[in-house]
Amino acid sequence: MSYATEVRGPLVLGNKKLSQVSDDIIAPVGAQPGKWWYAAMFVASLMLVYGAYALYITFTVGIGSWNVNNSVGWGWEIVNFVWWIGIGHAGTAFSIFLLLLRQTWRTSINRAAEAMTVAAVLCAALFPLIHMGRPWLFFYIAPYPNTRGPLWVNYNSPLFWDFMAISAYLLISASFWYLGMIPDFATIRDKATTKMKKTVYSILSFGWTGSSREWMRYEGTGMVLGGIAAVLVVSVHSIVSTDFASSVIPGWHTTLFPPYFVVGAIFSGFAMVMTLMILIRKIYKFHDYVTDRHFDAIARILVFISLIMGTAYLTELFVAWYSGNEYEGFLIFKNRVTGTYAFQFWAMFICNAIIPQLFWSKKIRQNLTIAFVISLVINLGMWYERFNIIVTSLSRSYLPSTWVTYHPSYIEVGIYLGTIGLFTTAVLLFFRYIPMIAIHEVKSVLKHNEREHGMGDLKPDEQ
Amino acid sequence: MKTAKKAIIGVFSSEDSLMDALCRLLAENLEPAEIYTPYPVHEALRLLKRKSKISWAAWFFGFFGGIAVLAFLYYTAVIDWPLNYGGKPFNAFPSFITITLVLIILIVTILTLLTFSVRAKIYPFKKAEILDERVTNDKFIIVYDAEKVNRDQVVASLREAEAEEIIEKQTV
Repeated sequence: MSYATEVRGPLVLGNKKLSQVSDDIIAPVGAQPGKWWYAAMFVASLMLVYGAYALYITFTVGIGSWNVNNSVGWGWEIVNFVWWIGIGHAGTAFSIFLLLLRQTWRTSINRAAEAMTVAAVLCAALFPLIHMGRPWLFFYIAPYPNTRGPLWVNYNSPLFWDFMAISAYLLISASFWYLGMIPDFATIRDKATTKMKKTVYSILSFGWTGSSREWMRYEGTGMVLGGIAAVLVVSVHSIVSTDFASSVIPGWHTTLFPPYFVVGAIFSGFAMVMTLMILIRKIYKFHDYVTDRHFDAIARILVFISLIMGTAYLTELFVAWYSGNEYEGFLIFKNRVTGTYAFQFWAMFICNAIIPQLFWSKKIRQNLTIAFVISLVINLGMWYERFNIIVTSLSRSYLPSTWVTYHPSYIEVGIYLGTIGLFTTAVLLFFRYIPMIAIHEVKSVLKHNEREHGMGDLKPDEQ
Repeated sequence: MKTAKKAIIGVFSSEDSLMDALCRLLAENLEPAEIYTPYPVHEALRLLKRKSKISWAAWFFGFFGGIAVLAFLYYTAVIDWPLNYGGKPFNAFPSFITITLVLIILIVTILTLLTFSVRAKIYPFKKAEILDERVTNDKFIIVYDAEKVNRDQVVASLREAEAEEIIEKQTV
């Protein structure tokens, strides 16, 4: 059954043969990278070292080394947590929603999106852990028979849901990613010329042979994981939003939050995928696999989500005015739109709701330099959004005596930079050791190319 | 697959030539022991009646996992150590649903992966039984167990089905 439409152009350019696909994609795996790779790794390592130092201080001194206080109890750490977990929604959005919707154009992009997801969720998971103050007791949050009663956890608490949801999300996205790589590792194994490479990829490929029985179960498992992860991807960020929405803080206590957070997460995730894919295509010259049409499709999705984001921001303003609630009105109009944090509010609004509208123009969608900049701007804007939600609400609570203006300490900045270093390191290792594009999935769409566009080396389908 | 002691292998270069050959061979009642392809060929899976029951297994994991989770929540929150959270009933069923959903997903994921690993025999440090290294790259092969079929008939049929190469191979 073919779900392809005539509307979309060829998914892979250059009349590729099956073996060419393997060769092109495997070429960078394990090869000596360029100088840029070492330079990037050096910078990432510096950030990691700074992050490690910041964590050392956090563990030995405690979270008193941060600038969070009684009023702003959640500072950069929760901002960054929500930011990273949002970015971590791209892999699932790309792989799973598009897999379930049978969108074959995902095949060149899903691998990188999934890799990025795993790295981003790892970065995200760090923050709630260290925010506990005594991270070595983090297992207290798991419901297990204990010597404290046994006293069980509060199953009504979104913070507990969060712990379980993120653990499940990390597991499912990592296993989905790995499952997708098994046949590709087998391809590398069978084409390897050195003993070392053959041994390593033999282990990684888990004994894959490509038999019909393996493929049958492989696809079945992929669809099951995809189906349940689609539910999870919506519930993870909904749960993150209930961390806020179930409180009685103005600016947080709103029913808009779950969809607003989920859409925002997919927005930042897609933007990060665009950033990464532009780099991959440029550096590794994957122009035949990651075509202009791919970027066009991502840009169209971004412009659509940007409209939803703009609507959500305006809905917040409207509800604050229409509800007549004085605390809500004060917070939104005196402490977000104007006031100490007005810059962050407008940065969020302009980066997320205004600038991506440039993608309406075909010229801009086709200009990858501008698209690259816009994708970065979106992620900057999404960071401001989380800062805006978390810090503005806490810094001006009900009592003026509790009002403070929050700035992060150098330790908090260090932890954030450390996670960027971790993410960058993970992505650089991915560039070097893992096929960046799903080889077997691209091969399976070559036939669509041939059917719809008369390309490729396959004979016409006579079935 | 239970590996044949001696295998007859027909090699093809494209999905279409594989499908043509497969239709022809099945019409002659020559059902192959296995086929190997670089990517999943759905028509071939359908012809060979390969249908995974893993989604059913997942459904059962989810169903019984869900019951187990709710029972666990009930035991801990109502029987073992009831705590009053803001006047909610001990069995705060609606607010248990979110965590139940997440835990069902966790249970289904773990058990489905285990089921896949056991049924497809894909697990760490397994040594692959490779019949032809090219199948993970660009070749499609049809394999017969030489001991279970008439060797000459299979070879003749594979040749008629325009197999690029016909290999007879001793396997493990």
